[in-house]
Amino acid sequence: MTKPKRTHPLGLLLHIAKSIRDYWYLLILALTLYRDPFWFALCWAVIVFAILIWPCIRWATLSYRVTPEAIEVNSGVVVRHHEHIPYGRIQTVQRKQWFFLAPFKLEELYIETASHDDNKPEARLAAVSTSLAGEIERYRQGVPAATTPAATADDVLGDTDPEAETAEFSVTAHYRIDSHTLLKFAVTSTGFIPLLLILLAIYNKIPRNWTDTLIDDATHLALIVLVGGGLVIVLIAWIGAFLWTYMRYYHFDVTLQGHQLETAKGLFQRNTITAPLKRIQAVRVKQNIFRQWLHIQTVQVLLASKAASKDDDDDLVILPAVPQSQLYDVAPPFVSWLPHHTPDLSDLNVADRRKWYLVRNALLVAIVPVALASFLLPHWMWAFALILVIAYFQGLFAARQTGGGLVTPTLLALQTGHVWTKETYYVPVETIQSVRLRQSIWMKKTGLMHLIVNVRHGNKNQAIELRYLKADQAQRVYDWYLHTV
Amino acid sequence: MSSENHHLPNRIKLIWGISAVGSFIALLVITGLIWLTYRYWDWPLWLVSAFAAFTILEPIIEAALIPYRYRFTRYQISAVAVEMQAGFIFKKRVAIPIARVQNVTLNAGPLLQWQKLTKVSIATASTNHGIEGLELDEAEALRDQIMRLAREARHDQA
Repeated sequence: MTKPKRTHPLGLLLHIAKSIRDYWYLLILALTLYRDPFWFALCWAVIVFAILIWPCIRWATLSYRVTPEAIEVNSGVVVRHHEHIPYGRIQTVQRKQWFFLAPFKLEELYIETASHDDNKPEARLAAVSTSLAGEIERYRQGVPAATTPAATADDVLGDTDPEAETAEFSVTAHYRIDSHTLLKFAVTSTGFIPLLLILLAIYNKIPRNWTDTLIDDATHLALIVLVGGGLVIVLIAWIGAFLWTYMRYYHFDVTLQGHQLETAKGLFQRNTITAPLKRIQAVRVKQNIFRQWLHIQTVQVLLASKAASKDDDDDLVILPAVPQSQLYDVAPPFVSWLPHHTPDLSDLNVADRRKWYLVRNALLVAIVPVALASFLLPHWMWAFALILVIAYFQGLFAARQTGGGLVTPTLLALQTGHVWTKETYYVPVETIQSVRLRQSIWMKKTGLMHLIVNVRHGNKNQAIELRYLKADQAQRVYDWYLHTV
Repeated sequence: MSSENHHLPNRIKLIWGISAVGSFIALLVITGLIWLTYRYWDWPLWLVSAFAAFTILEPIIEAALIPYRYRFTRYQISAVAVEMQAGFIFKKRVAIPIARVQNVTLNAGPLLQWQKLTKVSIATASTNHGIEGLELDEAEALRDQIMRLAREARHDQA
């Protein structure tokens, strides 16, 4: 048996960076305490301990060992943890490589299993040799899963024959994003909205006398300054979101190796995620309204584990941006049960009079906060009225996007239009956990029904809800489900 | 077990009635405590009256809805699936294939034990569904059936 190894000393940098991320507020606290020497000194002592000494101790006490059966990770300063992870239990392996680690052939490794407890990965090894991931991968694919007789709740989800795992190690499909599509993808990122809100909050914090003098100097230009300032903020937020998305998805690569999907992306930090195909619960094709105009779509897989938790909406993106026309040529090689051409989703729909229900509901949701806000800030009434207009069109959008139907006798497609984003789910019947119908007494008269399809997503449930379908449409899906399983 | 619609056992109405009384008592205690705050800490009187009104109304509504709740709650078990239905004003119907069931839990508090009933909760990999009360032997038969079918389904897969 080999002896447990420590991670590379450069990992210390990552530990320190993480501590700074966790305890940055202490620095602000220290700045506010500069008047009081005692507390100031104490605060600095805590900071030095938290971001220098503690990470060093953590690093010194962390060790790992790779054996043919399992990975063992020892960690903990006060309380010692001894983690024993058999290869068969590994769900996803995530590798992150910062650019400064590349020359040293080092990377950060996250190993996740299907266990239900807290949202942390089972093991996090900062700065280990890049060959380690390959070694683990070989054990995972090469050695039959003889160590997994204990069937847990998760195993029954999709674990099939263990022989399949010994399958070939060769790449059977590969796709790399081209820079033109990536550009389109980054330009249409909706990440600018939260950024915009933050910037607006900061804008509000600018001392009043600055803006007042500015406006006094140029009273006649006040409106231009106001509108111009607003535009500049939108522009900054948008450029920020663009750069962020561009860097994160730079050189996005996806490959299918045997039964493992592997995605790699990122400029300064190369992030590689490996996930087993059999864990896929559903495929989601996503497209926000801007991307609809540019005809590009995003493909994600919903996994039965908390893989890629820092990814977009907790889902593993397998194709960030594919031109709409090519989607059904590019995606099926990776997930074989996807349709090979654009499916007909008109079987389930919200057409004619029924779309007004969705409009009405969108307006009802918006009207109370809008009324309250206009009452409190009467000057901004026109802006709030705009929200109602947006809500109205969101209702229409949702109605127009709702669709679905059976693609094959065992594959259901469902499409929704939430928050200006079209989402198309492809769900094989064997991963649908339950189907629910809902109907209020008023909907009975009009012959309408809501359909809810429950799919496992991460460690939680994803309810895909199609609202205001015709009762017979919804009932058809329900009956199909009961008769197919 | 047949695959027709079943109502819950009749005695569940008694249990619901008792639990309405139980919530009356619990609310009464809370109202009492709030009255004490009014008496000694000068909390406003309207708070006490509001709670007193709620204490009287809530159990009455709960009790009045029992026949409705009983009438429209149904379940159905076939060889392949469990279906449950509840509500009339807001009608809900759910289908859980037995092959998807991960575990079945029987759960009975003192009242249900006294009436030889038990709650059944059926968990899939992502959702939880409950039947509010079943006869003990029926629930056990259901659990055994589900677990047997689930085992068979798992064998088919492997």
